[in-house]
Amino acid sequence: MKEYFMRKMVLLVPLLLGITFAAFVLAKALPGDPVYSMVGERADPETIEKIRKSLGDDGGVLQQYAGYVSLILRGEMGRSYYTNREVFRDIAAKFPNTLRLAAAAMAIAIPLGVLLGLVAGLRRDTAADRAISMISLSFLSLPVFWSGLMLMLFFSLYLGLLPPSGTGDIAFLILPALTLSLPATGTLARVTRVTVIDLLDEPFVRTARAKGLQEMRVSLVHIMRNALVPVITVIGLEFGSYLNGAVLTETIFGWDGIGRFAVEGIMKRDYPVIIGCIITGTVVYVMVNLTADLLYHSLDPRVRMNDDNG
Amino acid sequence: MILRAVRALCILAAVCAALTACSPGKRPSGHVSLRISADPTTLDPALIVDVTGGLIAAKLFNGLVRLGDDLGIVPDIAERWEVRDNGLSYIFHLRKGVTFSNGREVTAHDFLYSFRRVLDPATGSPNTWVFEKIAGAKDYAGGRRPDVPGLQVLDDATLRITLSRPFAPFLQLLSMTAAYVIPREEVSSRGSGFQRHPVGTGPFVLSNWSHHQELVLERNDAYFQPRARVRGITFRIIPEDLTAVTEFEVGNLDVITLPAPEYRRYADSSMWAGLISGQEGLNTYYLGFNCARQPFASARLRRAVSHAIDREKILRTYYEGRGRLASGPVPDSIRKWRPAPEAGYDPGKARELITREGMLGRTVNFYITSDQEVRDIAEIIQAFLAKAGLPVKITQLEWSAYKAALNHGEADLFWISWWADYPDPENFFFPLFHSSNHGAGGNRTRYANKDVDRYIELAQAESVPEKRYSAYSAAEAVIMGELPLVPFWHRKEITLRQPYLKNYRIYPIYSMDKGTEISL
Repeated sequence: MKEYFMRKMVLLVPLLLGITFAAFVLAKALPGDPVYSMVGERADPETIEKIRKSLGDDGGVLQQYAGYVSLILRGEMGRSYYTNREVFRDIAAKFPNTLRLAAAAMAIAIPLGVLLGLVAGLRRDTAADRAISMISLSFLSLPVFWSGLMLMLFFSLYLGLLPPSGTGDIAFLILPALTLSLPATGTLARVTRVTVIDLLDEPFVRTARAKGLQEMRVSLVHIMRNALVPVITVIGLEFGSYLNGAVLTETIFGWDGIGRFAVEGIMKRDYPVIIGCIITGTVVYVMVNLTADLLYHSLDPRVRMNDDNG
Repeated sequence: MILRAVRALCILAAVCAALTACSPGKRPSGHVSLRISADPTTLDPALIVDVTGGLIAAKLFNGLVRLGDDLGIVPDIAERWEVRDNGLSYIFHLRKGVTFSNGREVTAHDFLYSFRRVLDPATGSPNTWVFEKIAGAKDYAGGRRPDVPGLQVLDDATLRITLSRPFAPFLQLLSMTAAYVIPREEVSSRGSGFQRHPVGTGPFVLSNWSHHQELVLERNDAYFQPRARVRGITFRIIPEDLTAVTEFEVGNLDVITLPAPEYRRYADSSMWAGLISGQEGLNTYYLGFNCARQPFASARLRRAVSHAIDREKILRTYYEGRGRLASGPVPDSIRKWRPAPEAGYDPGKARELITREGMLGRTVNFYITSDQEVRDIAEIIQAFLAKAGLPVKITQLEWSAYKAALNHGEADLFWISWWADYPDPENFFFPLFHSSNHGAGGNRTRYANKDVDRYIELAQAESVPEKRYSAYSAAEAVIMGELPLVPFWHRKEITLRQPYLKNYRIYPIYSMDKGTEISL
């Protein structure tokens, strides 16, 4: 297990190099020029060239990439072209907000989605199953910018219970977390339902029932535990993507997270911000997936890590 | 198993709680709460190019002069000035007792330092053009000489500025953000951090800037002019328009700029209609042509496009009257001459001209930004032009890519606006039409006409207003005849305020709003 973990960590290095290079080339290939945004509406060619030079944006892409890699090796991510702030510090300040939002969304989505999926699976083809299927499909289909605004109107404007926007304590967290949790709840409910239905006819379930176990125990211990492997996969994927920033949710609710930061960087062609966010995102994604791998192993001992097989 | 799941959830909840940071506090007492849609890029006057930065900097800093209510120049830190040598030299006498918020008195040396800093290549300021009329400034900015001979401190309270050649709107240039005074010692001690911890002489001081959340300004009680009536201003950073509307309705914001889709709802409401304010800004929205290449190198085809579009109808219907129909490139509030005749709506004539130019049924490209309102307007224009026999292919680009495409002359047609930096016709004519400004300089139509260049240069150097206006009038007559662009309208800013807000007004230029009049 330890060796497996270490190998993944080592593999992260070429992965990051590849990802940053691809991102660097793609960012440079995008139409647009950060210098034009920086100089405003009126500038002479001399000023434009001067600013381009000051950004180190005047050499070839390979030369710029080499400069960036040497920065990374020094533990830096450069400074934003616009704000001149250290990208690493900005990401470090915003990542906890993104983590809070993602964790809160998953804290709502996991129990709700799994419960709905379990009930729907166990009550297959009943009114409850159809109602849950409809709800989960709605959660999955509703665009976040619509559901977010509706939740804001209802809870903030009509009920006056929660602040409409801002980054802050639990009161500020509820609405964006709820909005973000809806599609994940829908996905989890559907995945859990299908898995539970598949498991109902498995021999070990029949055996459990034949032993005279209570239905509740059969459902929660025997079926649910085995249903958790695909559920964990979905949780890993959703959580990983939320940790890379939920752009729309963060924008609607004015939440100061990584997603908003990255998109603002993309819009302004702020290359250090774009690359910094991509590196962070890659590391986070790999770590989340690695955690999911470890969880598979602890949930189902039949799932072996590569090193155990080797 | 259940216990383990419950335990895991508890841990997750605990992590959430532990990660919970301080929430933005409630609005401080006596503060007016306003919305901005994004962080200002910087608060260093030398580097500011965005409106948000300029709007906030106006409350933190002062210059030698500023704009008065009638858009004329009034004293700011300079209590008076003399113009000598036929407009070549300006001597400014500073007020006594004006202090930075760090307590030190402002002297003429501070202005010298601040102006030179903008020009210094090491600063990397995009605003060097503001001072390039000063003798020696261009060479200093280009690193070709070590000083600026046109900037001279005569004594602690007197500054002389000598221009390389007379420039009539020079005082207006000095009302701009780049010409604010800053203290050298703060820049030296903070370095690039000055842009986040600015120190100025303004009616407010920056007390907190939470990136992506809010900026809080506190009243400067030592301000040398009448103090602000509110204790502070909190700028909430809210990117989404509809979120801002909700924040306004729950009472967390005191003023919002009304988003276009919300305008009708509030205008029809008896509760809110009286609280809507509108002010025509110093801007011109226009349809530009690429005059440097076919097909729009032909003035006749440009005229055809102007005849094909019913601008008045678009303004009245789609735009719901939120602007004034433009009769030329310069807003009426600063135009002091009779407008030149326009190529008005005449679809028959449009089709005839398009046919004569051999363009009937031939597609042209039309570049626009990704804004929904712009998209709507572009599609209306597209329909008008299709009716006249000129098909249009719309290309929508994100702002940075759009600007690059325009600056490189890729578009046949494009939709854009020009907002004045200072209230003088020169600020429209020179950047938009002078042949030295093609591309990023502002002349995105790549229009070139030697007569127009000459009229603009004449007006720049002329100090007698009537003669200047006459030169502008002549330039405008040529421009409206050749139509490198079709001026559409001058847009109004429409805001909605809370009923308890007093002395609220909208200013035609952001730099005029010092925030001292508004009260709760």
